[in-house]
Amino acid sequence: MDGVTLYFRLIRVAVQARLQYRADFFTGIIGVIVMNTVTVTLIGIMVSRFKHLNGWTLWEMVFLYCLWLMGHSLYSFFFWHIRALEDYLVEGTFDQFLMRPASPFIMFLAREVQYLGVADIIFAVTGLSLAFRNLHLQWTGIQWLFFGLAVIAGTLIETTLALIFACISFWTGRSRRASQLLMRLNVMVQYYPVDIFGYTFRLIVTGLIPVAFMNYYPALMLLDKLDPHSPWAWLGYMSPVVALTLVIISSIIWHLALRRYSSAGG
Amino acid sequence: MKIFWSFARSTFQFIVAYRFDFFMEFVLAVLRMYGIYWVWRILYTQRPGAFGVTLEQMTTYGVMGMALEMFIWSRPQWYMANQIKSGAIDTDLMKPLDFHWYMLARSIGEMFIGVGVLGLPALIIAFIFLGVQFPPDVASGLLFVVSMLFGFLLLFHLNFLLGSLAVVALDIRHISWAYFSVVRFLGGQIVPLWLFPPFVAVIAEALPFKGTYYIPISIYIGKLTGLDAFKALGFQAVWLVVLVVLSRLLWSAAHRRLVVQGG
Repeated sequence: MDGVTLYFRLIRVAVQARLQYRADFFTGIIGVIVMNTVTVTLIGIMVSRFKHLNGWTLWEMVFLYCLWLMGHSLYSFFFWHIRALEDYLVEGTFDQFLMRPASPFIMFLAREVQYLGVADIIFAVTGLSLAFRNLHLQWTGIQWLFFGLAVIAGTLIETTLALIFACISFWTGRSRRASQLLMRLNVMVQYYPVDIFGYTFRLIVTGLIPVAFMNYYPALMLLDKLDPHSPWAWLGYMSPVVALTLVIISSIIWHLALRRYSSAGG
Repeated sequence: MKIFWSFARSTFQFIVAYRFDFFMEFVLAVLRMYGIYWVWRILYTQRPGAFGVTLEQMTTYGVMGMALEMFIWSRPQWYMANQIKSGAIDTDLMKPLDFHWYMLARSIGEMFIGVGVLGLPALIIAFIFLGVQFPPDVASGLLFVVSMLFGFLLLFHLNFLLGSLAVVALDIRHISWAYFSVVRFLGGQIVPLWLFPPFVAVIAEALPFKGTYYIPISIYIGKLTGLDAFKALGFQAVWLVVLVVLSRLLWSAAHRRLVVQGG
């Protein structure tokens, strides 16, 4: 059985396991939707009271938020438990993965699903279509294609970064707080356009922990906000490249971490 | 008092054991303050003096909103939910202490440690790097401290009520997500109530949530002064009485239910 088939078979089991708890499912969905609604309302109040935030109008802000949420929702549905790696290590669950006759990476990824990602998807799709209509966007085929790529890139960027941060626990035993730092940077990028922040912050979220490529840079391209005179305009097209680079880096780190873990006699 | 110090001591030991976690918590708090600082700075550079506040007042409001979280933060609800779920609540009920006061003493102990370890250091950073100003006069400063204590007690009781729900709901995690968002929103932690659209403002003005962040910070920046400030304190006091009574009633009902279950 190849890796992909195995992955989806295990994911089906994980979904079935989750669906045992119906009430939990509904309260969770409502909780997530309330959270997102409050966030967007707060942003909405700020922006509409001041007409715009550094040139970003209300619906552009909604677009920015929902583009992030779209990529994030796929991550949160399939890969939310990456941050739980430290628990797997402490509880010995990870040792079980190593003993099975399949890639421990697939075992790890297919371990769980986070059904609450569904609520994020619902919210993101609604928000994006409302923004799309209110901004009277008319995309070319290339832009639609790029939109799709940007969403997938967003998912990959968040997933690989989460994996890299989680791998810290192979060395230190804990990684949850470091993962939370990632989340926090992420959330700041999610709420506000990066151009309102200072130079250092922009440098960090562009070059070091490139979460700005999940929504800010692709949104510049998709909303025709790229400044053709800026020497940095090309960053608007870079999300897929950034995602691919991160995939390579994270897989190297994962293999290094795994070698270290096994050699410790685990 | 002795009980309270023993809680504070055990919390302190907990923090020493999780140094790294608390350091990260600190970094996160600074990031939150940094984020909101820039948002208000940009908005007020676009429209100086909008809604009768200056740029400095508004950035102070935003940063204080984030900082205040570490001053009035308490989490009896998680303790209650865990104890109820695991059944360990029995041992708490057997103690010769009123449960409500026990939770309050515990939360006050946690608050002092949280303020010392996270709140004050974050505030110092805010004063030095994020241009947070002092209150306009001594009176505002004093009223702010009183109002903040009210804010702590209000939030504690709201959280206590949420925790009591655990008897019925068992898992309060999902409810708490919605709850915390609503507290942040109606409490004015991020956006002050005077910016709300009228129909939302009417609701937010009447509910106790604005006593957690909005009233203390508005007093701090000198937006609420004189008689208005005292009225606001009165508002907090009235809601506090209501919430204390509600907490006692709800908890005694919850307690009965626990006993009936044979707990």
